[in-house]
Amino acid sequence: MAKKIYFIDSDEKHAGALKTYIERQQYDVTCASTFDAARLLLDKNLPDIILVDPFISDEMISCLESVKRENPSVQIIILTQKDKLDAAMDIFGSKVIHYIAMPINSKTLDLALIAASKNISRNRKIDRYSERISELHGTQDLLNQLFEKVPCYISVQDRNFRITAANRKFRQHFGNQVGGHCFDIYKHRDSKCHDCPVAETFQDGESHSTEEIVTSKFGKQYNVLTRTAPIRNEKGEITQVMEMSTNITQIRQLQDHLVSLGLMLGSMSHGVKGMLTALDGGVYQLETGLAKKDDDRVLKASDQIKTMADKIKNMVLEILYYAKSRELQYEKMTVETLADNIVSTVKPKAEKHAVKFDVSIPKDLGEVDVDPKWMEASLVNFLENAVDACVSDREKKDHQITFYVSKNAKNQICFAITDNGIGMDTETKNKMFTLFFTSKGSQGTGLGLFIAHRVIKYHGGTVEVESEQGKGSQFCICIPFQKPDTTQSPEFPIANH
Amino acid sequence: MKKKILVIDDDLNIRDYLVSLFNDNGYEAYIAGDVKEGIKEANKIKPDLITLDIEMPGEWGPRFYRQLSQDPKLKNIPVIVISGLSGHQYAVVKAVASLTKPFDREELLKIVKETLN
Repeated sequence: MAKKIYFIDSDEKHAGALKTYIERQQYDVTCASTFDAARLLLDKNLPDIILVDPFISDEMISCLESVKRENPSVQIIILTQKDKLDAAMDIFGSKVIHYIAMPINSKTLDLALIAASKNISRNRKIDRYSERISELHGTQDLLNQLFEKVPCYISVQDRNFRITAANRKFRQHFGNQVGGHCFDIYKHRDSKCHDCPVAETFQDGESHSTEEIVTSKFGKQYNVLTRTAPIRNEKGEITQVMEMSTNITQIRQLQDHLVSLGLMLGSMSHGVKGMLTALDGGVYQLETGLAKKDDDRVLKASDQIKTMADKIKNMVLEILYYAKSRELQYEKMTVETLADNIVSTVKPKAEKHAVKFDVSIPKDLGEVDVDPKWMEASLVNFLENAVDACVSDREKKDHQITFYVSKNAKNQICFAITDNGIGMDTETKNKMFTLFFTSKGSQGTGLGLFIAHRVIKYHGGTVEVESEQGKGSQFCICIPFQKPDTTQSPEFPIANH
Repeated sequence: MKKKILVIDDDLNIRDYLVSLFNDNGYEAYIAGDVKEGIKEANKIKPDLITLDIEMPGEWGPRFYRQLSQDPKLKNIPVIVISGLSGHQYAVVKAVASLTKPFDREELLKIVKETLN
């Protein structure tokens, strides 16, 4: 496109001649012979070059100065009488590209126009570069934000597995470790991991992925899914490798929970089958007892059906306790109330099986912070197991369980439960709190003591067990009076194991 | 003379149920709560049939079955396996029948009748 020139000169004849000359050189020329006409043009549209005699009016000088101030890219060439050139130079200095004395030397004018055109092209280039640089800045900011704020751990590593850059999430969880070795920061190792995906990427330039367990600066373990990507220089050589790790700990926990739920269903179904058979047996005894008018059989049957209904109810409750995610709901309650509630739940079972139940609950033990529902269920479970251990023992004639409540030296409340039942062998003792372990065959689900133990643990308590096969067992369950510091204790729900 | 059936199961309620069921149907039922007691009772009463739960605490039914097979006086006693485990028919291949808990009462009586006749 032809460059646009405004030619401002009071001598219309001279201007006309010059216009024709300049137009021959492919410029688009518009003339103005008065300041007002020039002003009108300049207000409407700005040219690339202004060819002007500044002395055509007093206002022309300030007008030109304002144009140049607001639009520095407009090129101004001054044409004036020789005796006014110095004055013009004093006024405009270097703001003007060229000063030409009249009468005009056409070569001087040509050179001035060429210089102006070059300036215009250079300015346009500079403008384009500036635009690009600001675009680059924008892109760099965006990439930086992406790098910093992306919700996964990103590190850039050199060939020695030293971290050269790390994003915010990485720094938050693993510290500001630029310069440190990846294997040390992620895994606290002295040397590179044998299946390092970064090493593989350095070798073949491809992206690699692995699943790892890493340890944060707070000592927490995370399951992470790691992917790598090569970073190449302008020659295409791999200089660094970027490693992106997504924290999939929650997914893995959920998977574990699902797996254990599956295991639980398997274990449950066996127990449920036994219970249904016994329930079926109860119904049979009831029907035949009624038909035979055998009151003893009817009574026994009704008792059996009730027992089975209770067992099924307990099993369902255990499943719910296990499957449900629930925070502990702490309440203050007196130790006496807690212990009394437990005793009244267990007493009928002990009496039914002729097991002596010896209880000692001092009245002055004060209040304790517990989740009553969980804590009662847990202690009842320990006591019911004691009764079951007595019922299973066929060697001794008389059986008894004891339930003594006291305060220990560490200012904890302790529940001591003893029985003279069958006792446990070492294997049973070691595995008794393991999920789905049961020593009761079809009578057990393997959930009861697992849950009971967890409840005590989450209350910040401990369970100590002593047992001798054939002689009996002793459980000492101690919990603090006050709710434990949750930041120190493991996370609930119970399902996260 | 009534045919004798020995019920081996760790669950007292199921033992009671099977004893009533067999007694009500003209058999004479005996009980054992574990493998050791089972062998002792089998030797004592020489039953015509044994019903066996293959999963009892601390016991494994197939082991009992092997002990039974090795005893010349007991090895010909037919065994019906009654278990809460699925796939248990593979555990005692020589059993005359394998029933899964909860079993069908009539089916059990039919198998018992056929076995004893």
